Amino acid sequence: MPPTEDDPRFEDLDWNEIQQSKRTVTAERAALAVGVALLALGRAYQELSAGLYLIGDWRPVTLDWAFLLAVTVVAAYGAVPFAKRLRRRPVSLRGVLRRRPAVVLSGAFVAGLVAVGVVGSALGGSPPLRFQHAYHPPVGFASTVPPQECLGVETGGPFDRVCHGTWEYPLGTNERGHPLGFLLVEGARTAAYVTVISAAFIVPLAAAVGVVAGIRGGVVDDLLSSYVDVQLCIPALLLYFIGYAYYGPSLLLLLATFGLLSWGGIARLVRSEVIQRREEGYVLVARSLGASGAYVARRHILPNSTNTLVPAVFQLLALFVLIEAGVAFLGFHEIGTYSWGSTISESINAAVAGQLQERADQPAHKIWWVSSLPAAALTATLVAFKTLGDGVRDALDPRGDRS
Amino acid sequence: MTEEPICSVRGLEKHYPITRGLLRREVGRVRAVDGVSFDVERGEALGIVGESGSGKTTTAHTVLGLEEPTAGEVRFDGDPVSELSGDERRDFRRRAQLIVQDPNDALDPRMTIGEAVAEPLRIHGLDDADRRRAIVADILERVGLSGDDLDRYPHEFSGGEKQRISIARALVVSPDLIVADEPTSALDARVRSEILDLLDRIRREFDIAVLFISHDLDVIRRSCDRIAVMYLGEIVERGATETVLADPAHPYTRVLLSSVPSLDPTDRELGRPLTDTVPNPSDPPSGCRFHPRCPDVIPPDDLSVPEETWRTIAGFRFSVQAGELPESAVGDRESETPTSGDGDAGGRTATEVRRAVGLSEELRDPEAEAAVEDAAAELAAGDVDAADEILAAAFTSVCERETPAAVARPAGRDADRDATGTVSCLRHGRGGTSEPARSDGDGKNES
Repeated sequence: MPPTEDDPRFEDLDWNEIQQSKRTVTAERAALAVGVALLALGRAYQELSAGLYLIGDWRPVTLDWAFLLAVTVVAAYGAVPFAKRLRRRPVSLRGVLRRRPAVVLSGAFVAGLVAVGVVGSALGGSPPLRFQHAYHPPVGFASTVPPQECLGVETGGPFDRVCHGTWEYPLGTNERGHPLGFLLVEGARTAAYVTVISAAFIVPLAAAVGVVAGIRGGVVDDLLSSYVDVQLCIPALLLYFIGYAYYGPSLLLLLATFGLLSWGGIARLVRSEVIQRREEGYVLVARSLGASGAYVARRHILPNSTNTLVPAVFQLLALFVLIEAGVAFLGFHEIGTYSWGSTISESINAAVAGQLQERADQPAHKIWWVSSLPAAALTATLVAFKTLGDGVRDALDPRGDRS
Repeated sequence: MTEEPICSVRGLEKHYPITRGLLRREVGRVRAVDGVSFDVERGEALGIVGESGSGKTTTAHTVLGLEEPTAGEVRFDGDPVSELSGDERRDFRRRAQLIVQDPNDALDPRMTIGEAVAEPLRIHGLDDADRRRAIVADILERVGLSGDDLDRYPHEFSGGEKQRISIARALVVSPDLIVADEPTSALDARVRSEILDLLDRIRREFDIAVLFISHDLDVIRRSCDRIAVMYLGEIVERGATETVLADPAHPYTRVLLSSVPSLDPTDRELGRPLTDTVPNPSDPPSGCRFHPRCPDVIPPDDLSVPEETWRTIAGFRFSVQAGELPESAVGDRESETPTSGDGDAGGRTATEVRRAVGLSEELRDPEAEAAVEDAAAELAAGDVDAADEILAAAFTSVCERETPAAVARPAGRDADRDATGTVSCLRHGRGGTSEPARSDGDGKNES
């Protein structure tokens, strides 16, 4: 198509008229501002209102507010750019599903996890203790350690009763008579808290430190790099136990210690990517155009670092889930937080340090569902995070479109 | 020209400190650019040519303000660049544009080319995305691509196309100066000439000055009005392209010219450098920086050997200094010292060393003969440093002691054009008395 008279041409631009724009409103910032404002309103309402509960019988605590803030941050700087990108170059869901089913499934799983984290707590309160209903097997299975009151079909004689699964408790119950479905959802909520809070606060910190060290170089780089090296030497678990000694078990404490001590690896990755790319031609051109360091980092360096950065971040998040489960497995968790780790621990007669934790009085193989189901959920979460990390990396790379 | 030059560089220096230890104590400095001055007139093409490591790219980056100069001044449109601030600085950033060498890293692989070409507009405040897009589509067509390419990514384009995109990106903000850093060195010959044509066309059409940085004399010859030859951070010769290349006054320019492949094999001899190693810019040679490699280095006054022999001696001396001797010319330190030991299998004799460096015949000058013999004996014994000292003491050229000043190029066949050029070589400029060794710039008397 030959240029016509109406076509704007670059030489017709009047550069005396074009002013440096101070465009401050972007979709990301708007989303962040709206989210933060809503949270502040909710917090103020909870503070001022006479009622004990915010919505239904949900009474959010500091951790919940931190999680909601983290969700806002992730939505503003993860979901909004993603939506923008989709609008610029639409992708058919069916096509992606056919080409990369594992990634789509993982994405759905992670999205579900986060959704459970957001709405799960508001949905149901804690079911009551029903020791008489302990050890119901899942539907379709039978238990040789039957509950006092078996709600399903009972077979066998009085001394070798066998209780069959019931739809009352489709996934069975543990020794306190808590349905496993509830425990899985609660564990998912914990996992969602861990991942979203880490992603929202730890990853930006790591990226910022890496970018500053890489771009500024010199003494700044030396100081930041050696600080990161020192920090990587401190075992976060030790710090958690010190905090535990003072404050007792707390998920917030766990997130703070592991979060604040574990971003060093990501920061180092970012720094090396920055150093590798800061002399690239397009960075030189952008700088000669007068672009600031922040602009160059945001528009050029970080987008080009996603191949290493994104899988590393997802791996770190999966690791946090695993660490939380491990700490809970050892019993150093709040008793009211039903993590997958603590559920597994309670069912396998592990002689563990945490004295607060109840232990099953049955051999683990006889009540296998109590440990297997959370373990499967944990495994699925780890696999989903890693698969999704690789999928996001490929989706962001224009050359990575392997169909 | 009466008009002020668009870009004027005076005494530009850029040194990179070499630091050591925690406190970053300075232990030396790399003199990447060391006292460079030139003007780029409006709408003209100036070429800066030199080997790798001569400081061309650092000069380009310093001119654009990407590096702070250590000393000296860059003026753009009359204003010192380092003092610009606010709107003026922004204006400079718009009016001076960069085209980088490697088309593969010139464009961000994560940006579509539409975004890449629109980036200057965006950074400089054109917020209307639709207008940006229309302008970019238009300019892409005018540099020989299709407006439909907007949404494609750089890896879908060839090297030449990417360089066209780079040119479009530099052009889109209507600059007055484009600094093109080796714009064609990564391209094959046919594409290269297309890109040079394109640059030439936009330069004439929009009256944009172009500062070409290149190691390739053909590129400069083709595109530039004037040329400046750089060696180790200094400009050694400058002038109108045609006259400098037809009648090079500085030995280094001749070396560069002879390195251009030619169909005539006899052409090459005149400009072969004595040694191939470019000296380290953190420790540049004294006097004239080119003297250790200069095929035309001035002999000591008291030496009475033919020109040809002197060149061989100088070649010998500076090869020893640079550690570039042929394998057969250095003895083995470990073996028994072969002072006269014929038949010693492991060692070398002074005679063999002399044969290897082309000085086997006895020299007429007795002092020179003694020095060469001693040095050869030391080399045969494997002591390169001692040989270097002996040679340095015996054959000290004026080129090592005196730093040449820039003087007007000698009047060649075209006196008018020569008036603008300068050359920094003691052959031309020692107190204005000495005659150039070669009056014939083509150097045909040497063959």
